[in-house]
Amino acid sequence: MYGRDLYACEGAVNEQLARYGVKFGIYKNNTFKEQLFPFDVIPRVITKEEFQKLEAGLIQRVDALNLFLKDVYEEKKIIKDGIIPEDFVYASSGYLAQCEGLYPPGGVYSHISGIDLVKGKDGTWYILEDNLRVPSGASYPMIARELCRRCSPATYQKNCLEDNRNYAGLLRETMDAVSTGGISVILTPGRYNAAYFEHSYLAEQTGAKLVNGSELEVSGDCLYYEDYSGRKEKVGAVYRRISDEYLDPLNFNPESLIGIPHIFDVYRKGNVALLNAPGNGVADDKGIYYFVPKMIRYYLNQEPILHNAPTYLPFYEEDRKFVLEHFERLVLKDVAEAGGYGVVFADRMTAEEKEYFLALLEREPRRFIAQEVIDFEDLCIMENGEPVMRKADLRAFVLTGKETKVWKSGLTRFSRNPDSFIVNSSQGGGFKDTWVLSQ
Amino acid sequence: MGVISVEQTDRLYWLGRYAERVYTTMKLYFRTYDTMIDAGEDYDRFCRALEIPNIYTSKEDFISRYSFDEEDVNSLMSNLKRAYDNAVVLREEIGTEALAYIQLAVYAMQRAEDSQAPLIEFQKVVDNLMAFNGICDDQILSENVRNLLKVGKRVERIDLYARLHESRENLEREICRLAGRIDRCSLKYHPESLDSLKSLIGQKELDYHRMIRQIEQIL
Repeated sequence: MYGRDLYACEGAVNEQLARYGVKFGIYKNNTFKEQLFPFDVIPRVITKEEFQKLEAGLIQRVDALNLFLKDVYEEKKIIKDGIIPEDFVYASSGYLAQCEGLYPPGGVYSHISGIDLVKGKDGTWYILEDNLRVPSGASYPMIARELCRRCSPATYQKNCLEDNRNYAGLLRETMDAVSTGGISVILTPGRYNAAYFEHSYLAEQTGAKLVNGSELEVSGDCLYYEDYSGRKEKVGAVYRRISDEYLDPLNFNPESLIGIPHIFDVYRKGNVALLNAPGNGVADDKGIYYFVPKMIRYYLNQEPILHNAPTYLPFYEEDRKFVLEHFERLVLKDVAEAGGYGVVFADRMTAEEKEYFLALLEREPRRFIAQEVIDFEDLCIMENGEPVMRKADLRAFVLTGKETKVWKSGLTRFSRNPDSFIVNSSQGGGFKDTWVLSQ
Repeated sequence: MGVISVEQTDRLYWLGRYAERVYTTMKLYFRTYDTMIDAGEDYDRFCRALEIPNIYTSKEDFISRYSFDEEDVNSLMSNLKRAYDNAVVLREEIGTEALAYIQLAVYAMQRAEDSQAPLIEFQKVVDNLMAFNGICDDQILSENVRNLLKVGKRVERIDLYARLHESRENLEREICRLAGRIDRCSLKYHPESLDSLKSLIGQKELDYHRMIRQIEQIL
């Protein structure tokens, strides 16, 4: 399938990635540094049939999550019917009371969803996490594919793959589908954000304006982009890459210097689309994750196609008992953390840490979920010219505009540490392209 | 891609200026460096010509700090990094391909720091800056964006040429080029400064100091 041709071009591809500044930012000792994102040329390969199942499962899941968000901020039937305890909704840090009764343009809440999956050694895919706020990462395989094709054309001549370079088109289509009329912009916190490369690359590829908060202003009931001469252009869709709390200092965190005063008021009046919608954090909370299969049954009356990793909620007495009894074999995750932080493997704790953690669990059961450690598939990567096996996950991108579509690729992240399950780039992980076979 | 904000206008102008500053001073630096190979101490004259403070303690200190010290605001490296800082936030205006040449110039500069023969890598910096100018001309569709970059470049070049007491012919050419561009972009400028430059270039004796003042005041 891929062979010497592709291995041989690893240096050339990485040189090209450096040329085009394919980097991510990281803060170390309070200093911002840009680092190249380590790329491994050996792709993850997903067969056509396997992807069809993934695609159906991902569309099902994201559709259910969108229905959940609509319900939570409107009728709350799922709470009233006792499917999800209200504690899990209202105590979630991602729940925003300001979004109550608010219907977003186009009726879509999660336009760009990043769903993290792993493949177990038995070939079963498990969902690890839903990212419905500002998931990042699509730009990396997109540009990597472009550059790999340049460096090893023979590889791509021999293999029949879905072309993943259409992501910008899908994103543009999504923005257009919910736009209220006017230009589309990508709102970035600035070049010192970890994902700034992606913000600027997607702006270039979609033709949207890359803007920071100071370049937008609210006037009357609309949002405008103002040019050098004071001429204003109405903005219809904002693909915002800043979190809810910094979006609008007058509606959320008053100390935000990167937001736009009153943008949330314009959104509330239906005069601008925000992608993704504020308040989505309530649905990608690690505690809510447990309930997603129940949501699928509740809203869609279907059995979930893709499975969660076996998960326990210490909030429930029965689950807490199970967690305490089987503590050693579980991984515990702090629901408020992200990026691979707040993840603790119980079998790696010292006796002291274990004692401390169990007490914490008793005190704050809502704060953690516990999961069975999935022995997920290792993928081959090249390290100093030698093939080695490392843990890897897949972030699939699901876009919802007029309909829900799955990008036929994804970001495969791998750990560079042989003893680690943590694949995040902020913790030293690398990435691969994800091939979806077209035949 | 019709509208450009005040911030982007500013960044494009300064990208043009910093890229040009590195390009022109590096070409001059080549000559100075060559002289210093023969144990000359030409760096003082170089600093005076560019009106930068001579904070250097020796030829070796000058070569090291003027070339690579990011803390030295006058160094080639810090000027190139400022060009990069502006370019990296303009990807959607200038394009990934054009931005890559500024990135490649930075890499060449970083390699020069570790090289026994930095002029070879400096040549690559110059090559990449020339390629950057070429690709901007060739691939940027927006005339306003192209003109903003070029106005920055012309302003910087007139400033440097005046400081370096370049020939009337060279200065006149640059002033003409600036005059042909500046009205075609979105920068607000002082036309009286441009008129004054045109008048100064026609005088029998060139008054370089007044020219520097006028170009400094043009925006």
